[in-house]
Amino acid sequence: MKPFENDPDARPCDSSRRAFLRGLPALTAAAAVAPAVAAADSPRSAQRWGMLVDVRKCIGCQACTVACIQENAVPEGSFRTVVTTYSVELTDQQQPAGTYVLPRLCNHCDDPPCVPVCPVGATFKREDGMVLVDGDRCVGCAYCVQACPYDARFINHDTHTADKCTFCAHRVDAGLLPACVETCVGGARVFGDLNDAQGELRRRIDAAEAEGALKVLKPEQRTAPQVFYVGLDPRFEGKVDGQARLWRPRASQV
Amino acid sequence: MNTAIVETIAVTREVAWLPWAVSYFFLIGLSYGAFLLSLPGVLLRRPGWGGISRLALLGALVCGLTAPVALLADLHQPGRFWHFYVHFTPSSWMSWGAFFIPVYLGGLMLYAWLAFRPLLAEHGRSDGRMAGFARLIAYGGHDSRKALVGAAVVAFVGAALVALYTGAELMVVRARPLWHTPLLPLQFVVTAFAGAVGLTLLFHRFGPARDDRNATTRLARVLAASQVVALAVGAVWLALGLTGASPVHAEALAQVAPSASWQLTAVWAVAATVITLLLAWQRPGSGLLIGLLALHSAWMMRWTVFIGGQEIPKTGAGFYSYQLPLGPEGLTGIVGTAGLWVFLLVLLTTLLPFARLSAERPTAN
Repeated sequence: MKPFENDPDARPCDSSRRAFLRGLPALTAAAAVAPAVAAADSPRSAQRWGMLVDVRKCIGCQACTVACIQENAVPEGSFRTVVTTYSVELTDQQQPAGTYVLPRLCNHCDDPPCVPVCPVGATFKREDGMVLVDGDRCVGCAYCVQACPYDARFINHDTHTADKCTFCAHRVDAGLLPACVETCVGGARVFGDLNDAQGELRRRIDAAEAEGALKVLKPEQRTAPQVFYVGLDPRFEGKVDGQARLWRPRASQV
Repeated sequence: MNTAIVETIAVTREVAWLPWAVSYFFLIGLSYGAFLLSLPGVLLRRPGWGGISRLALLGALVCGLTAPVALLADLHQPGRFWHFYVHFTPSSWMSWGAFFIPVYLGGLMLYAWLAFRPLLAEHGRSDGRMAGFARLIAYGGHDSRKALVGAAVVAFVGAALVALYTGAELMVVRARPLWHTPLLPLQFVVTAFAGAVGLTLLFHRFGPARDDRNATTRLARVLAASQVVALAVGAVWLALGLTGASPVHAEALAQVAPSASWQLTAVWAVAATVITLLLAWQRPGSGLLIGLLALHSAWMMRWTVFIGGQEIPKTGAGFYSYQLPLGPEGLTGIVGTAGLWVFLLVLLTTLLPFARLSAERPTAN
């Protein structure tokens, strides 16, 4: 099944992890009807998928990174998600440097800058909010790669098309959680339906918002990300002002 | 509380617009710039511009025919180029560009054919190489003024649209502050035109009319003027960034200003422009040198914007490092594009020898 094939009726109605798993038996088989392109052609969806990343719970184990690679056959040297890790030292205090971890992935923006630039309509946003790439239509021009403010996209050297996190649309459409959420050791990633007022995601987002703790990356870009963060330090919201790493992975070295 | 942050794990995103893209933007810029330079002599028939404008038109053709090949090669799925024409997306400048390029190149080829028909017929009557073919494509060799004007209008509209889309395509990318500046399209146009003057100077220098100092001086004056405009636009860019009058320029400047390599690049670019200006103004006879300098500046500007711009991480710390690969995605691609350019130049100058192109001829209306 192609990642963008979807039937809204086949999606779980509650997306917190437990409810998600409870709902599995009730799922119907997904109908294999691929939209010609873009969300405009998709049936109207009741769901609105989103993710909350609680940075305070992330232990930087990279289990999500590995699970994503395994699940989506991400080529060597490329990543759809990664836990960026930083050494942070307080220069005016006597204490050892600490570690800050920040899981990154496609933000599935409500106003995605990658969509309008695509010259062939291969990148599109589904009614349920997932921003996806029609790999059969993509010409590999990489315009979307340039337009993404989060460096979330790349050219897949196996398919020669634009690639990115899909929220594991193929899993979600089958009633499963995204691989990174499923595997997260610390429970730092919460995936679910933003429209489900009783769902874990909505409740936690509302709670964080009430405390003024809810953040997104690069809010000044006005892309309306649907990946939200709790515990996001302002120094890591945008382009990080620091020293670049010395080691850089390459396919030939992995 | 002061912090020192060192990135220990992060993703390095590769350069996704490869040197092919630099080659395309360089060549298509030279092409529309050279087309503009062809207008005074070929279309308007200004005295003293005939040879210059015909050489410029040759440059416009050679660069214009080579450019789309480089553009095609920059697609990671070049076999799917036809998707551009069956999935038109009006929100994308690149999608519009796919339609602007044929308009420009169609108009340019028609304009060049109409302009060169008498010369092709002349070559057809000679014993030169491919004389028979020249006679065939001259198709009578008539000099049709009205058709020439019509084709020039189409090519001009196409050139303006290509200049617009190539600049706007980058300017709209908000995610890259260096590209997201309103002055970028203008900088592309100015440096493209200057590069086209440089290319025409080179053709002139290698042609039999190389001793025609009037033509060299005329071109040098145009080049000097273009360098003044380039410096003025650059100064406005810098002023907007330094004063903060334009937040997008300030953001672009802030991203690159602390970097020593970017400082060197800026000094180099300004020095090259100033030297070109001074030489073109004070020693207009140095046609070969200023021609090469202008071409160098046009290439360097695009390389810096494209490759340098992609070396700036959007979320990560510092800069990505880019090393030019030797394969098709790097050096071989650039050399291959240059090879195609040379092939087309040889082919066209076989049909239209430099001597015929650069000679001043009486105008026939």
